[in-house]
Amino acid sequence: MSKLTAADFAPHSNEHHCHALSRPSLSYWQDAWIRLKSNKRALASGCLIIGLLIFTLLGPLLWSVNSSEQDLDQLSTPPGSARSALIIPDYEPWAGPTTTVTELELAGSATTQSVRLQWTSLPEANGHRIYRNLYPVGEEKAYGIPMAEFFDNNTLYFEDRLNLSPGIYYYSVVALGNNRRPTTEAATIRVDVLRATTVDEAIAQGLVEEGEEIAVGDTVNTALHPLGTDYLGRDMLARLMEGARVSLFIGIFAPLLYVLMGVVYGSIAGFMGGKVDQLMMRFADFVVALPFLLFMILFKISFGIGPGESGIFPMLMAMVVLLWPATARLVRGQIMQIREQGYVEASKLLGAKSSYLILRHMLPNTLGVVLVTLTFEIPRAIFTEAFLSFIGMGVAPPTPSWGSMSNEGIKTMLNTPHELIFPALLISITVLAFNLLGDGLRDALDARMRNTE
Amino acid sequence: MTTAATDLQHTPSLLELEDLAVEFSTYGGIVQAVRGVSFAVERGKTMAIVGESGCGKSVTVQAMMGLIPMPPGRITSGSARLNGVEILGRNIINGKDIRGSQIGMIFQDPMTSLNPTMTIGDQIAEPLQVHRGYSHKRAFAEAIELLSITKIPEAAKRARQYPFEFSGGMLQRAMIAMAIACKPSILIADEPTTALDVTIQAQILDLLQDLQKETGMAIILITHDLGVVARMADDVAVMYAGKVVEHGGVDDIFYRSAHPYTLGLKLAMPTNDPSKQHKLNPIQGSPPDLFAPPIGCGYCPRCPYSMKICDVKDPDILPVGEMHESRCWLQHPQAITVPDELYCGEKA
Amino acid sequence: MMWFIGKRLVQGLITVWFIATATFFAMHNVPGDPLLNDRATTAIIRANLEAKYGLDKPVTTQYFIYLNNIAHGDFGISFAQENREVNDIIREHFPVSAILGILAVVIAAVGGILWGSLTALYRNRLPDYIIMFLVILGISVPSFVVAALSQLGIVTINSLLGRTFLPVAGWGTISHMLVPALVLGLTTMAYLTRLMRSSMLEIVNSDFVRTAKSKGVPPARIFARHQLRNAVLPVITVLGPSIAAITTGGFVVEIVFAIPGLGRFFVEAVQQLDYTVIMGTTVFYGAFLVFMVILVDVIYGFIDPRVRMN
Repeated sequence: MSKLTAADFAPHSNEHHCHALSRPSLSYWQDAWIRLKSNKRALASGCLIIGLLIFTLLGPLLWSVNSSEQDLDQLSTPPGSARSALIIPDYEPWAGPTTTVTELELAGSATTQSVRLQWTSLPEANGHRIYRNLYPVGEEKAYGIPMAEFFDNNTLYFEDRLNLSPGIYYYSVVALGNNRRPTTEAATIRVDVLRATTVDEAIAQGLVEEGEEIAVGDTVNTALHPLGTDYLGRDMLARLMEGARVSLFIGIFAPLLYVLMGVVYGSIAGFMGGKVDQLMMRFADFVVALPFLLFMILFKISFGIGPGESGIFPMLMAMVVLLWPATARLVRGQIMQIREQGYVEASKLLGAKSSYLILRHMLPNTLGVVLVTLTFEIPRAIFTEAFLSFIGMGVAPPTPSWGSMSNEGIKTMLNTPHELIFPALLISITVLAFNLLGDGLRDALDARMRNTE
Repeated sequence: MTTAATDLQHTPSLLELEDLAVEFSTYGGIVQAVRGVSFAVERGKTMAIVGESGCGKSVTVQAMMGLIPMPPGRITSGSARLNGVEILGRNIINGKDIRGSQIGMIFQDPMTSLNPTMTIGDQIAEPLQVHRGYSHKRAFAEAIELLSITKIPEAAKRARQYPFEFSGGMLQRAMIAMAIACKPSILIADEPTTALDVTIQAQILDLLQDLQKETGMAIILITHDLGVVARMADDVAVMYAGKVVEHGGVDDIFYRSAHPYTLGLKLAMPTNDPSKQHKLNPIQGSPPDLFAPPIGCGYCPRCPYSMKICDVKDPDILPVGEMHESRCWLQHPQAITVPDELYCGEKA
Repeated sequence: MMWFIGKRLVQGLITVWFIATATFFAMHNVPGDPLLNDRATTAIIRANLEAKYGLDKPVTTQYFIYLNNIAHGDFGISFAQENREVNDIIREHFPVSAILGILAVVIAAVGGILWGSLTALYRNRLPDYIIMFLVILGISVPSFVVAALSQLGIVTINSLLGRTFLPVAGWGTISHMLVPALVLGLTTMAYLTRLMRSSMLEIVNSDFVRTAKSKGVPPARIFARHQLRNAVLPVITVLGPSIAAITTGGFVVEIVFAIPGLGRFFVEAVQQLDYTVIMGTTVFYGAFLVFMVILVDVIYGFIDPRVRMN
């Protein structure tokens, strides 16, 4: 402890200020913005949403594949599959084998154009039946799909041209007895089917550059599908982009409209008060009581969908007509609460007119609540659209939406999961992003509504 | 002070708080709400803690009672001894919770401080069931008794009602009944009358004094109203910016104020004497930002008598008289320009 | 209390009337003749319909006939399933949906209250993070994806264990009900968890909990009598509309798990444009939901005395 001198005890002058007393003050919106920025999850979600919008709006400019075009060479191909195709001569029907064999063999190369098999007669066979399977036959003798039957002992060859996709197949030849029923004699062969196409097809599909010459034996790359194709051979990426447009359009516009409607309705009811308010709220209560989904479906049917229409508009209409009351009630509650607040009374005492009160006091204070509601209604709308599409009550094919794509994808979930994963993932991510953003907005804008996290 | 002053210096006080410091981690940083508070409460006496909003008086007693959520709160130092037993940070002594049994507490807003979904009777009965193991029936009967002691009419009927059916004043009486149910040795009253009308205020304060006479319990009364202090207190601790700036007997504080802040508070009191016509004298300025507490004396910017040292060094606690201390450099023997209004003890 | 219930019942009846009316006029907007289309071709049905609904009479008369029929509990005859009364369809399939729905609601409510309380009590510690992560997943992944994935899960478990541990689809035993009910209740459970969490967090920091602590009430008792009772109130309010969401969400689960519930038949009726079934089911569901909301309101009244007295 140092010694204290007399100088220490000299009094301060009048203009002396000891130390700064306060930090700079912030406006409500500045404070909210700072709070929002520091919420990492909300920020990430915001960036994600912007990314999604870019994907939807600008994506098609970068990836301009037609979403309805079918690539019949690649049905249900997962992303990243091999794309190379062998150029082979045009198809000519097979007249039969030119040599004899001692067992079940391939005749020629196995391509997606045709697979030709020949075999020698199995012991005690009065005929043969040919099966094809995607999986090994194994102990249980699961031969797969029967492809053809021959009831004489002379037809010892078979050409398969049915739905050939590149991959591994297991062909089996089973001997038929006198009674034309299969015996236990069988032979199996594993065949690796290569993707192949002819010169004309390659040119027709635009796989060949201008002026480039191709010949039999060359390999070309079939069309690139970065995210694979669906069961009709349509490019997933293109469909997802267009689906994004449909899903996001409904998901953003419907809530925008019905929240706006709710704000107008609720403000009037809240501001007028009394009997008008009672009446208006009664009506809103009735609309709320209608079982939403059932009425959505009813609406869709009664508005009808002509062939070729996508069904987006009726869905939009139905959502707007059925979903506005929740926001209306919220806004009305807010307005009524604000009306009772001291600062409104004080403002009135200072001579403020109704329009000033509404514009300067009531609306800005309601804006926070409305913004948060909007951000939460968007994922709800996206879910609803997905749900309706899932049960077949959504947009009509071929217009893609993430919901209808999921619906189609579920059917082949076990074999080709990518058809389900991509749209479902996109739905989940979008919904997640909006939910987190909504949380962040709520924490930032209103202390009372804060999730106190 | 009383003649037993010398005795009190030797017998330990009922409650001794020493150098308590509490901080909060908040959105904007760490707030040092309490920065070294010490005082002592004597048996059967009323200690008033006075200060403006934000000075840390509520946080002090709540920290002592273990009512501050930790996080975001944190007790960084200090000790609190009840009958010589350390209770800071440990409310359960020998398997029994001292809260509700040895120390009772009532709060500022009775409407929000009571469970809206439980009857008043049940809530008063609760400490009896918890601490004394009474059956519900017995505890409820005693609750009705307690309601009549706190002068609530039709106690039996009222005990079956819910908080929203009571007025503010009656709720406060019910809270008092609840707090004294197990006959605690200390009752902490955190601004019990701030939310009530002036007439009800007087009734509640009278009730507290009557109860104190009957039971001999000590009262810690937190308030920002000097009128309440004058009426109720035996000892006073004046708090500012998280520290006790002056403490002593009630007469010392009022007639022999030894700190500029106490002076300012007295001057700021409105008077209803019609002959004295003058403007209100608020203390200019605002309390310091406790996110970045000042190194020197917290009152410096608002103090009309500040000296160079005040800005630089936090004042020590300096003695003024018997059981009367002040945290102010003006009490230092080397202080030169001491204003006349300030009492500096029996010094030359 | 009786007055409170009576008032709500009357309001409910008016709402059901409104639903019936709205349904009627919605159906009458379908282009063409709504109650006669290619499907109902047999003369018998046509005659029955004309008698019942007075299809040649003006709309308002049809409307009153319709209301009258409904008041007697008669929803008419299905088109797609010739001569089968809609009432029978409802009677046969609704109990299935109801069991599924109730089970789902119970799972959602118990789970939601439990997890929500846990996250609030262990705020910002590990249990909180884990549960909230799962909750966010729960509200983001669409129900049909969850349903499909859970079926996949069952298949995998079955093949791993070498036997049918859980049935993949169908209805009949308790083991048939478990996974569908869980899947159905999942989204609502996630939502209720969040709600319970913020309600609990508010209560945990509330003045009356502080008072209870100051009385030395032990934590377990504070949780049960002070925190839970008050925090549960918003959850119960939401429970009514949640039942609605669960009932309609039941469509998906019933379809994916091949459960013969009313929701699945409703969807089929929609796809087949079987108008009487659509209308009847809509009104029935509407009435059911109104009743459920009233029930929840009454329960709420029991718990929160302030609602009763007002």
